[in-house]
Amino acid sequence: MEGSDTYLIRPNHQHKFKPAVVKECIREIVRERLSGMRYDPEEVPELSRSLADCIKDKVKNAGFDRYKLVVQVVIGEQRGQGVKVSSRCLWDADTDNYAEDVFMNLVLRCGGFRKLLLLRTTGWMIFFR
Amino acid sequence: MDDYQTEEESIEAVIGGNAYQHSRVNHWTTSVVEQCLSQLSKLGKPFKYIVTCIIMQKNGAGLQTASACFWDNNTDGSCAVRWENKSMYCIASVFGLAI
Repeated sequence: MEGSDTYLIRPNHQHKFKPAVVKECIREIVRERLSGMRYDPEEVPELSRSLADCIKDKVKNAGFDRYKLVVQVVIGEQRGQGVKVSSRCLWDADTDNYAEDVFMNLVLRCGGFRKLLLLRTTGWMIFFR
Repeated sequence: MDDYQTEEESIEAVIGGNAYQHSRVNHWTTSVVEQCLSQLSKLGKPFKYIVTCIIMQKNGAGLQTASACFWDNNTDGSCAVRWENKSMYCIASVFGLAI
């Protein structure tokens, strides 16, 4: 952190977190990595971890200095079960925000056997001094 | 970050002893999360919190969550609690970031 910035306790308007930019980052990575993938219990832990790391790095490089990031990736196999994900935050509503993307995949295999992949990715950004 | 207890209690209080019902799941997830958050804010520590809750019906399907964080390892941390009963799974995670 450069010495000239440390007196700032709030981000400038230009440096404020922009959810649309982050949502686009998330969307690109997710679509690139997950199209055509099916749910494989052996590969999924590694896949979700690397996806979260990828997204975190991409957002870091998008130029939001003075922000801490938390990225959460949820991958589920669709078998007709009900799933509900929800979240709440205790933060400074003026400087902090989040972006999320939901991705659903339909994979057809020979013989009409389908295994679906459902993914929800959320990225939170918290301003720090 | 030792609020494993807080999270577990909140989950138990809201959905303990209930079977999965699609109509009530919305209400359950928001209650779990709100209760967790209010318990955490009562602790009075200088932290910002993010609390997430996933409730999934037991069906034989698989679910995987992962998170990556860019923060200060000395002051920030996270905690995840896995809870289940006969008809559903509940995963609650809390991320705490120091101000």
